[in-house]
Parts: sequence; C-alpha cells; structure tokens
Amino acid sequence: MKTNGIVRGLTLAGGLLMSLAAGAQEPGITDKTIKIGIFGPLSGQNMAYGFDVVNAAKMYYDKVNKDGGIHGRKIEYVVEDDRCNANDLVAAVKKLVEQENVFMLNGGSCSAAVVAAKDYIVRNKVPYLMLNASGDGALFPPTDYIFGAFSISQYAVGGAMVEFAAKSLGAKTVAYINHDDAYGAWNLEGSKKDAEVNGVKLVVESVNPTINDVTAPFLKLRAANPDAILLVTYARPAALLIKKAAELGFNKPIILSVTGTASLNQLVGNVGKDALKNFYTQEVMIDSPGGDKLKPIYDMYKAAYPDLAAKPDHPQTYMPYGIPPAMSLVKALQDAGPNPTREKVLAALKAQDFDSGVMAGRMQFGPQQRAANRSTIFIKYDGTTMAPLPGVFTSRWTYEAK
Amino acid sequence: MSSSPLASVAPGKRALTGPAIAGLAVVALVAMALPAFTTGYVIYIANLLLVFVVLCLGLHIVIGETGQFSMAHAAFYGIGIYASALANRAVDLPYPFAMLFGALVAGVVGLFIGALALRMRDIYLALATFAFGEAMQWVFANWDSVTNGPNGLRISPARFGPLEILSDKQAYPFVLFFCLLMIGVTVAISRSRLGRSFRAVRESEVAAMAMGIDVRRTRVVAFGLSAAIAGFAGGMFGLFQTFIHPDSLGFQTTILVLTMVVVGGLGSIAGAIGGAIVFGLISEVLRQAPQYQEIIYGAILILFMMYAPRGLFAFIGDRIREARHGR
Repeated sequence: MKTNGIVRGLTLAGGLLMSLAAGAQEPGITDKTIKIGIFGPLSGQNMAYGFDVVNAAKMYYDKVNKDGGIHGRKIEYVVEDDRCNANDLVAAVKKLVEQENVFMLNGGSCSAAVVAAKDYIVRNKVPYLMLNASGDGALFPPTDYIFGAFSISQYAVGGAMVEFAAKSLGAKTVAYINHDDAYGAWNLEGSKKDAEVNGVKLVVESVNPTINDVTAPFLKLRAANPDAILLVTYARPAALLIKKAAELGFNKPIILSVTGTASLNQLVGNVGKDALKNFYTQEVMIDSPGGDKLKPIYDMYKAAYPDLAAKPDHPQTYMPYGIPPAMSLVKALQDAGPNPTREKVLAALKAQDFDSGVMAGRMQFGPQQRAANRSTIFIKYDGTTMAPLPGVFTSRWTYEAK
Repeated sequence: MSSSPLASVAPGKRALTGPAIAGLAVVALVAMALPAFTTGYVIYIANLLLVFVVLCLGLHIVIGETGQFSMAHAAFYGIGIYASALANRAVDLPYPFAMLFGALVAGVVGLFIGALALRMRDIYLALATFAFGEAMQWVFANWDSVTNGPNGLRISPARFGPLEILSDKQAYPFVLFFCLLMIGVTVAISRSRLGRSFRAVRESEVAAMAMGIDVRRTRVVAFGLSAAIAGFAGGMFGLFQTFIHPDSLGFQTTILVLTMVVVGGLGSIAGAIGGAIVFGLISEVLRQAPQYQEIIYGAILILFMMYAPRGLFAFIGDRIREARHGR
C-alpha cells in the first residue's frame, strides 16, 4: 500500500511536472497575457483591403480586454505590415512566430500572399486565422492549422451571385466576367456548380485585372444575349465594364461581386448615376456598409479611432470584416479553457459554429471545412440609395478531396 | 575620352589591402556564424538578401558591364524558379542539378530574347525587355498545366542527399555558398577576356568593333549570361521558399532589382552586392513604419540621386579618398 502510494505520488508529481513543462513550452502565454500576431497590408496600393480591417480586429481585442479578457488573461497583440506581398508576408509571419513568440496568428488580406506562408505555418503548427483574405489556396486541401474566409471563400462569391441571378432575377443565361488570376479561377469553379443546379447557362469572359479597354469582352458577352451580367472583378475593370454597358445602351441587370465594391462613392464618380439604373451589388455582411444592423461596429470604430473616423472614406468599406476573425479567435481561446494550448485552440476551432452578427452567414468550420462563410446578400443601388434585398444566397461549393 | 558615367567606375585588377582583407574576413565570419545567434526570421531575410544579391549580379552583367538596358530580369528569375521547381518535382532531379537546369533554361531564353531585343537600343530596348517581362508573367499566370497558373506553384523542399531542407537555418549555408559561388563567377567573368569585351562594348561600340570585337555577339552573350545568373537566383529562392505566385514576378520586382543595382553603383560588382543588401534591409526596416515608409523610401532615392548619382559604393569610396588626401 505504502509503495503504491509512493508510486501514485511520483506519478502525480511527474504528471504535474510534465504539464508544467508543456505549459512552459507553449509560446506567447503568460499568467496574465496571450500574445497574438496580427498582420495585413498597412501600406502600399492594396492597403484599402486591410488597413481598417486590422484596426477593426484591434478594437475588438481591446474591447475583450476592457471586458476582463479571456479566463483572466488580456490579449496582447503585435502588428506587422505584410504589404500584400508574398515575401513580406512570410517575413512578417516568421518575425511574429520566431521573434515575437506569439501564441497564434490573425492576419492577411491578400490571398496570393497568404498562401506563401502555408507550409511554414503547418510545419511550425501555429494556429492561424486569416483576416479578410479568402486564401482558398491555403485553406484547401484542409490542414489542422489554417482557418479563414471569414468574409467569404472566393469559391463561394460567384456561386452566390449565380444563385441570386437565377432565383431573384429569373436569369437563364448569365454573362460572367472574371479575372484571369487566382480569384477568377476559384470563383468560376464555385459558380459552375450553382449554375448547373439552377439550370443557368454561363457565358464566361476572363479579363486581366489591369485591362484598360473592355469593349471587346463586353461586346462578346452582349452577343450572347444574356439575362444579366455578373461582374466578378476588382473595382477598376468593373467600373470600365459598367460604363461601357451604359454607353452601349445595355439595360439588363448588372450584378457586381463583393470584390469590386471597395468604394461605391468612387464607382458613382467614375461611371455616373445613369449607369446604375439596373444595378446590384453583392455584400457579405448582414447589411449594407454603415447600415442599421452594423451600427454598433461603426460606433465602436468611431470611439476607438476618432481621428481616423473624421477623415473622408473612413472607415474603409471592408472595416467590419476584421470583427468575425477576431471573434473566432477569442471564442476559440475561451472554448480552450483556462489553460489554453495550441492543440486545444485548434480543436475548438474545428468545432466552431457561431453567428457573428456581422456577416451574412454563420461562421462554420468542420472536419474538412476551413472556409467560414459562403453566404451573401444583395443590394439594389442606384448611385444614391442602398436597398438591401430580402434573402441570403449561399454557394453550394464544398471542398471534395481529389 | 569616354563620356560614359560608367567609365570612372570600371573595375581594375587592384590588390586587396590589409584592412580590406580584414574587413572581408570579419564579414565572412559574421555571415557564417549568423545562424548560431539569431532567429529563423533573420535568417529568412538573410536568405532573401543573398538571392537578391545574385539577381543583382545578373542584372549587373548586362547593365553594369555591357551598358545595355534590361527590364526582363524578374522574368528570368521567375523562369529559374519555375524551371528548377518543376524539374525537381517532375523527374526528381537532385536540387543542385535542378538549380542548374533553371539557370540553363533562363540562359537559353535570355540568349533568344537577347538576339531579338538587342537589335534595338535605349528606350526601345527597355520597352522590348519590359514587354517580355510582362508576357512572361502572363505565361506564369496562365499556363495552368505547367505552372499551376494563378493558384501559384508549391515548391517541394530541396534535398541534398539525405538532408531535406525544411527551415531557413538549414537552407542558409547552401544559399550563402551559392551566393559566394556566383560572386566568384561574376568576378571571373568580369576579369576575363569576355568581361573586357563587355566593357569595351559599353564604353564605345565603334572602338570595340575596331578592336575586332563582335559587338552583337558580345551583347547577346552578356544577355544570356545575365539571364542564366538571374535564373540561378530563382533556383536559390526554392532552397528556402516553398511557394511561388506570378504576382511576385512582375514590374515591382523588376523595379526593385533595378533600383538596387543603380543605387548600389552602376558598373561595380560591389555596388550590385551592396545595393541588394542595403536596399533589401532598408525595405525590411521600413516595414516597421507603414505610415511613412513610402515617403522615406522616396526621400532616400532622391537623396541618392542628388548626392550619390554614381551609387552608394562610389560615394563611400570618394569619401574615403577625400579623407585620406585630407590627412
């Protein structure tokens, strides 16, 4: 009995020591803080995609800290600029992991750049939640460490548009303009499934994001006599196409993807209100930017960044996108319990399913699901008024191992 | 006398002085010992800088040595990355051979493009090489079956015998070795008969012809060699980076490398090396000041153009000479 007691005691002590050692090995965690690394494009020509998204995530973490933190620990964040560039993003990630010793990562607004860090993150087993990058190339095939598409998976953008065109506008033939890049390829792949299910004929024209004259692709699409045109492009080609449609008297519905809606004010300035008579924009949030349902987020921004909020065009359109990934990170840490480890957080993430109150769809992960959101709403926009239309439109695309 | 701004910085066969040898020895020791006292992040930056050094050496051959203009080096670099990665993946070619294959493919393409483009001069040559660079980026982004197109290409970890390179620290000795090797190759080229032909063409094509140099062939060879070195830099990139996307091989990279070579000092190997390191480091350091980095970067370039138009190293050399004469 006595021997058994000693053995038990030693086992317990050994177990305690091992758990202490394991705890000590967990980087970025102290009794009072959890250190996370945030990164996004804070400079350069693509900063509009990430600058205020990073600010939104920061203000959410600040709010969590103000409310008492997570199981008594405050979130400490370190921010790096990734310039939307693969080499810089990898440098930022390595700096945060190896020099700053963060517990987990929350960053990235540019898909191509984000994918460059995939192998490093997986090898080092760091939990990584993207900001607003769709990052499908890093999400699929799924790994145990990378989670994203909190705004929307690029695979789902075009699919949800096809769904809307078919169900709300009764379109049978849809002209579909995408980019000849990663976004374009992912969008089209997702759209084909929804087109097939809805009996929609897709007429596809792929254009370069830097295109200057859209006359030829537009005329080719118009020749197919489509019921609607879907613009799955960035803002610049979209503006050129909308303008061209107006010049050539095209009066059927034009639906612009969320990737092209960076600044609707600028769009009106570029194309004029007359070009927006039969125009719809896709939105991944529950309401139009600045709408009633998103007011608490905008109020939070004004309180957190009064100087920025006073500037024109701030907050930037994508600002609220920074909230759901931050919520997901906080929720995973809470679910991981008072002694969080990277493995516990990853397990919590895989089972996560919550309504952010910001995005159109629920934030859902699963055993093979690494893209949180696949749903969008649509807004009728005439150049002055934004009128959200009823219904949430969800792409059917799901990952299937090849 | 030549009016070329490069004339005064043409390399000569000067013996290294004691302090220079001591300085080089210190640099070499620090470079070799770097992984022992720093993080993988710093080593990643060091690897990236060493790759840019080789890329700049490639551009130096064509611009600095031969006096021709090229805006195609991001493309040759990309060809090297894709060719070495694909050769390694498709036929399991050992990585050093895959790197050589990448350099060879880039060199052959460079010879071909050089033969066509070098019929032109000045702005027309710049535009032709720029157009080639843009076309290659389009090829990288659209040749799906080979390059995996816009999804980018995953590069398999390099292997050297039983050693699989899975971290920046593991890659660093190889990257450093290949960088030193390419510096040696560039110095050897520069000091060879071929190198003298390059500089003769640079200073005066008429005089070079009068000396019996086949100017056209020399220019094409310079272009091919330059492309091969840039392609080799691409192979080095695959030693520590596991993904390449066409977006990384566009105009921005071209301008970055051009800036490194010009600001480092046209016509000087040390200038190309120094430009790559100094501007690579400045770029990384400025990432800490996102709000101001573009202003600071622009200001640095303007100051260089105003006060050191022949490049950083010529400027430092002048100041050292002035100080010596002052004594």
